[in-house]
Amino acid sequence: MESAADVSSPPRDGQSFRRRLIGFIAIGEVGVLAAMALLIVFFWLLEPAFLSERNIRAILNVVSFVGIIAIGQTILLVAGEFDLSVGSVAGLSAVVAAKLMTAAALPVTVAILGGIGVGAAIGLLNGVIVVRLGIPAFIQTLGMLFIGQGLIQVVTGGYPVYPLPEAVSTIGSADLAFGLGWSFAFFIVAAILADFVLRRTVLGRNIYATGGNQEVARLVGINTSAYKIGAFIVVGALSAIAGMFVMADLGSGGTSIGSGWELTVIAGVVVGGVSLFGGAGTVAGGVVGILMLKVVQSGLVVIGVNSNWQQIAVGVIMVMAVGLDIVRRRYFIAGA
Amino acid sequence: MPAQEPLLSAIAIAKSFGGVQALRGVDFDVVPGEIHALLGQNGAGKSTLVKILNGVHPVGSYTGAIKLGGKPVSFASPADARSSGVGYVPQEIEVLEQLSVAENVFAGRTGLGDGMLVNQRRLEQRAGEIFADLGIGIDPGAYVASLTSAQRHLVMIARAIVMKPRVLMLDEPTASLSGTEVDALFAVLRRLKAQGVAMIYITHRLPEVLAICDRATVLRDGQVAVRIAREDFDAETFIFSMSGQRLQRLFPEHAAPVGAPTALEVRNLTVAGHSGAVHGAKDINLSVAAGEIVGLAGLLGSGRSEILHGIYGRVPAEGEIRVAGGPVAIGSPSDARAAGIALLTEDRKRDGLLFNLPVGANITIGNLAPLSRRGVVRGGLERSSILAAMRALNVKASSPLASVSHLSGGNQQKLLFARVLMRAPKVLLLDEPTKGVDAATRHEIYRLVVELAEKGVALLIVASELEELIGLCDRCLVVADGRIVDEFGRGEGGEDRVLRSVAAAQTERHAKASQVSA
Repeated sequence: MESAADVSSPPRDGQSFRRRLIGFIAIGEVGVLAAMALLIVFFWLLEPAFLSERNIRAILNVVSFVGIIAIGQTILLVAGEFDLSVGSVAGLSAVVAAKLMTAAALPVTVAILGGIGVGAAIGLLNGVIVVRLGIPAFIQTLGMLFIGQGLIQVVTGGYPVYPLPEAVSTIGSADLAFGLGWSFAFFIVAAILADFVLRRTVLGRNIYATGGNQEVARLVGINTSAYKIGAFIVVGALSAIAGMFVMADLGSGGTSIGSGWELTVIAGVVVGGVSLFGGAGTVAGGVVGILMLKVVQSGLVVIGVNSNWQQIAVGVIMVMAVGLDIVRRRYFIAGA
Repeated sequence: MPAQEPLLSAIAIAKSFGGVQALRGVDFDVVPGEIHALLGQNGAGKSTLVKILNGVHPVGSYTGAIKLGGKPVSFASPADARSSGVGYVPQEIEVLEQLSVAENVFAGRTGLGDGMLVNQRRLEQRAGEIFADLGIGIDPGAYVASLTSAQRHLVMIARAIVMKPRVLMLDEPTASLSGTEVDALFAVLRRLKAQGVAMIYITHRLPEVLAICDRATVLRDGQVAVRIAREDFDAETFIFSMSGQRLQRLFPEHAAPVGAPTALEVRNLTVAGHSGAVHGAKDINLSVAAGEIVGLAGLLGSGRSEILHGIYGRVPAEGEIRVAGGPVAIGSPSDARAAGIALLTEDRKRDGLLFNLPVGANITIGNLAPLSRRGVVRGGLERSSILAAMRALNVKASSPLASVSHLSGGNQQKLLFARVLMRAPKVLLLDEPTKGVDAATRHEIYRLVVELAEKGVALLIVASELEELIGLCDRCLVVADGRIVDEFGRGEGGEDRVLRSVAAAQTERHAKASQVSA
């Protein structure tokens, strides 16, 4: 009621500019991008080596692994659920694939598909249990985090799977452009595709509706269970893919692949404006959020800050980002 | 009106939101023991005035002065207003579902002022005393989750009364209540009035003003249009001063179609009840012809909404449903939609609007198939069909990208109409289509309903306001305790007939029950 928005008076020039400005600021990614630009300049002024080719490449390489998972996590968060088991799933899928190509001597392609299959199957299991049995995602996926960690030890006996076939290292060490390999290429393509799906397709719109209000979505004929389970499967499969890219990068099926990623991924996408309550955020935002976290971490390393302080910085940034997002929504979007 | 000193008075209140003047110098006062109606269409400034008077809009955000008991006051927050003796019962039900009734009544003060510990027994005892005093028949130990929305509203009123307010503001307190519950609420208000509480009563329902209020102030465009004393009360005057024009006729004319084919036929529909307080529906048989408007009359909780939900597949139901003669199996809302059935839900905030999506996407959600190619939404086509739908239904929003939370209740409702009509349904189920909308929108909705009927849509409507239902519908079915107990056509009965049928059904059931137990 009584607000500026429902008065359809013809906008004057000043008003229309103001409205456009507000519209611009209201786009979630812009704020994060601006903050990131400031941080980059800050680190560069303190230490020009921050923008060295080597450092940029290192940042982008790390972002590509976690970013692949962030894409899935963003979709799942928009659908109104989240997954804490992504790191475990990444690690488990990697060691399973590694075992399939070594101990079981299967062709590399088949082994990789097997690894992705493990990730997708865990996603399906998470989804079915959360949606059909009504166990909260927090509990189910936290449980799966521990189960996955245990299974990694069971599969490997606690030792990294090594050596892997030549083909795997070839994938890991490929240099497509600027020293970036297949993982970065996959990350970019998947991000663009997923962003398009959320923004422009019926599927995407239905995911927003599902996360916004599940009952409303059901009443307009959307199969919300299928969307949620589907989103869990996507997260599982993307986690598996990220895990295998790390494995290729390392040239071994290490038992610590993916360890601790779950919180980095959630912190990153939340920094990028993806709502923990569902229904809001974009893949572009989530990916930019992850990038920003990694810029900060790397910047602190480059300017020589003790590593303990890096963790503190990540925590502070996440809380600040969400705080700023709430302020932004209140003042610019709500218009009051 | 006794020439008493006003207890609360607002002097020359003005407030604007981002360049839009919501209030332009409003004078308003209320005296002890008075129920003062505050009327006006949505957007007239009623809510803004109330929010200023109870501190939601803090001092400094408006101009003008507020006096309480003759002394100037400035409220920085609702808590500030509350502790000064100004209570407020909002329109939306805001209860803590997981807590007991007593804990809700004393929410924020469960220590009862003696320490950190909560004494559950004393809490319930105190709540029980308040309920007894007000004549409210709710168990203070019950969980709020098990209450009906009417009972929840009474809990909220009790919560405001606990603070012993000298001034009590009620924002559309009857929006979710049905006839007998309104009577119960009025009894409570009369007791408070006798205790000298000054009350500000915001409503869209004129009969209530006539029934209980002592004085009325009508706002229009942020100004006081007129102040009316009880002896001059008249529904026409209210409508005239609220709208600035005389509404011609409340209900547009419509005649039941003759010999039209049956569009919806329901046989032996049974819906299970839930959470104790709400009845299901048993063995419902009804049919609606194409172009016919049929109403389901009955009290809140009688099972009327459950019938609509059962037909739409929102809740599990048994029975046979035929659309345009052909049997359809409905296991979910999407089955119902595929069969050409659409449902407008009762509670816009809970199961109508998607607050994370803008106005436009709220209209097209669920209707995107014809607006897309290979799963990709065609932006231009979507935008043009949104604009067409907004024009057709007179949805007033600054743009399709505006936030739905900014729209008035009436515009939100028209938006939801636009959503359900986009698929051109053959059967339209409307659950309280005019709940919480202003008089002008109400009239627009009546016209829309009749227009749809003339186009051959079969309409099945649930509404708590009997006058509305009887005025609008070609035929009324009376629902009591989950069964259809009476049926009459246009002109064959009025509100009294519905109430008598319900009472007769309840008496009969009571008699049967005592026979069984005897």
